[in-house]
Amino acid sequence: MIEVENLTKRYTDRTAVKGISFSVRKGEIIGFLGPNGAGKSTTLRMLTGYLQPTEGSIRVGGVDAVRDSIGARRFIGYLPESVPLYREMRVVEYLRYRARLKDVPRSQVASRVDHVLGLANIGDVKQRIIGQLSKGYRSRVGLADALVADPPLLVLDEPTAGLDPNQIRQVRDLIRSLAGEKTIMLSTHILPEVESTCSRVLIINKGQLVGEGPPHALRGAETGGHIFVLEVRGEASAIEARVGAQPGVRRVLGSDTLEAGTGPGEAPLQRVRFEVEQATVVEALSLELARAGHALRELHREQTSLEDVFASLTTREHVESAEPTPVATEAS
Amino acid sequence: MNSVLTIARREIFSFFVSPIAYVVLTVWLLFFGIVFYILALVFAQQAGASETNLLTAFFGGTTLFYLPLLVFAPVMTMRLLAEERAAGTIEPLLTAPVSELAIVLGKYLAALTFWCALWLPTLLYVWLVARSGQHVVDWGAIGSTYLGLFAVGMLYMAVGLLMSAIARNQIVAAMLTFMVLGGLFVIGLAGYANVGDEMRAVFEYVGLWTQMAAFAKGIVDTRYLVYDLSVVVVSLFLSVQALQTDRGV
Repeated sequence: MIEVENLTKRYTDRTAVKGISFSVRKGEIIGFLGPNGAGKSTTLRMLTGYLQPTEGSIRVGGVDAVRDSIGARRFIGYLPESVPLYREMRVVEYLRYRARLKDVPRSQVASRVDHVLGLANIGDVKQRIIGQLSKGYRSRVGLADALVADPPLLVLDEPTAGLDPNQIRQVRDLIRSLAGEKTIMLSTHILPEVESTCSRVLIINKGQLVGEGPPHALRGAETGGHIFVLEVRGEASAIEARVGAQPGVRRVLGSDTLEAGTGPGEAPLQRVRFEVEQATVVEALSLELARAGHALRELHREQTSLEDVFASLTTREHVESAEPTPVATEAS
Repeated sequence: MNSVLTIARREIFSFFVSPIAYVVLTVWLLFFGIVFYILALVFAQQAGASETNLLTAFFGGTTLFYLPLLVFAPVMTMRLLAEERAAGTIEPLLTAPVSELAIVLGKYLAALTFWCALWLPTLLYVWLVARSGQHVVDWGAIGSTYLGLFAVGMLYMAVGLLMSAIARNQIVAAMLTFMVLGGLFVIGLAGYANVGDEMRAVFEYVGLWTQMAAFAKGIVDTRYLVYDLSVVVVSLFLSVQALQTDRGV
C-alpha cells in the first residue's frame, strides 16, 4: 500500500527527514513513533502530498505520489496533527463539503456523511458549529473527515492527542475496528496506544529510522528477554548464592529485602533479579529453591516496556547502563 | 471544475456567515448612499448646467468612488488564502485530491461573487435616477458601467487574492493589497502631473480612473479589458506558484 524509498526533506537550514525507506502492506496498522521533532509529521505530510520531498520516492497504492500527487491523494484519508477545521461551519456542512471535495458521487454524499458521523460517534453534535466543540469532538470530526471518502489508507497524525481517557479508548476501538478493512498509519508518542493497536512499529529519531518490527519483538530484541524476577523467603546472601550457583544463570543483577521475617524462625522476603541463558533454567531453579526450604512467592519474566525500548533507541544509550550495577558475584 | 465550485461555494458561505461581510456591506451602502446623496444634491443645484450625468459622476467620476474601494477590496480579499494558512486549514485542503489551480480559481470565483454582491444594491440608484426623470438614463452606458465595474473588480480581486496567497496572515495581506492598489491609483494620479503626453497615457492606463470614466460614459475600450485580464492572469498564476512554494515544489 505504501512504498517509501530514500525519502528526504531538506530545508535551507536543516534536514528534517534523512533518507528513510519503509513499506506498508495492505491491512497493516503501523505505529509511527518518535520524540517531538523527529520528523514524524514531515514524513506523513510528504506521504499525503502536503509537502514535496526533496529526494526519494513514494508510491501509494501503486501510484507515484511525487509525480501524480492528486492521484495518490485519492487513496488517503488524512488527519493532520492539529486537526485544522473551518470553525464557522457546522459539523455536517463541513463533512458534506469535504465529501464533495474528495469526489464522493453526489448521490452518495448524504449517506457517506451519515455513516462516518456514526463511526466517529459524533451524530449528536452534527448540527453544532465546529468552533464551539470541545477538542475531543473536533478531533473526531477530523477523523470522520479522513473516513468520509472511504479511502483504503488512513494516515492519522497523533489521533488521540488532547483526548480524555474515554475518548482515547473510543478512538482506539474505532481504529481497531477498521483493522483488516483499511491500512492505517498512525503517529503517536503514547506507547500503550501502539501496543494495543498496532501490528508493526516504525521508530524514527532525528530524521532516521532507528527501529522497526512488531511491538513485542522490539521489546525482546532490545533486552534479550531473559531477565527474571524472583521473590522468595531466605537470607539475602544464601538466596543470591544459590541463584548464582544454578547452572545456566548468567548473573544476578541485584537483590533487595522486601519484608523482614515476621514470626520467630521466619526468613525475610527477598527479591532477586537475574539473567538466564534460556527460560528452562528457571524451572530447575524453582525446584532447587523449594527443596532447600525457601518459600516462593513470585517468579516472573521481566517485561521490558516499550518505553524502555523507545528511550534506548531514541537516546542511543544502551538499556543496561540505566540499570543498577550488578552486585551479585561479590556478595557471596 | 467541480472542485472549483465546491471551494467557491464554501468560501462564499464562510464570508456571509462572518461579521466582516456585514460590516463591509453596511459601511459600503452607508458610504455610497451618502456619496450619491451629495452628488444628487450638487447636480440638482446646477440642473442642466453640467454636461456630465449624475450616474457617470457617481461611477468613477470622483475620488469618492476610488478611495473607499482601496480600503474595501483588501478587506474583502484578505482572508481568502492567508486565513487558511494561519488556521492550518490549508493542510486538509492541499491534501484533498484538488489542484492548486482549482483552489485559486475557486477562491477567485468567490471573491468576484462578493464584489458583485457589493454592487448589486447600486442598481437601486439607477432605478431612482431613471424614475426621477431629471436625467436621461442611457441604458447602454449603464451596461458598460457595470461591465467596467466588473473589470475593475476582476483586477482588484485578483491582486487581493495574490497578496493573500503570499502573506502570512490577513493583516499583512490587507496591507499589501492596499499598497499595491493604492500604488496603481497614485500612478494614475501622476498622469495629471506635468509628465508629457506619452507618459501620461501610460499612467492613465495603469491607474483605473480613466478606464472607469470611459466605461461610465458608455465607451467600451477593449484595451483596458486586455490590461485588466493580463493582470488577472499574472496574479492567478503567481498565486498558484505561491501555494506550490508552500508545499516545497
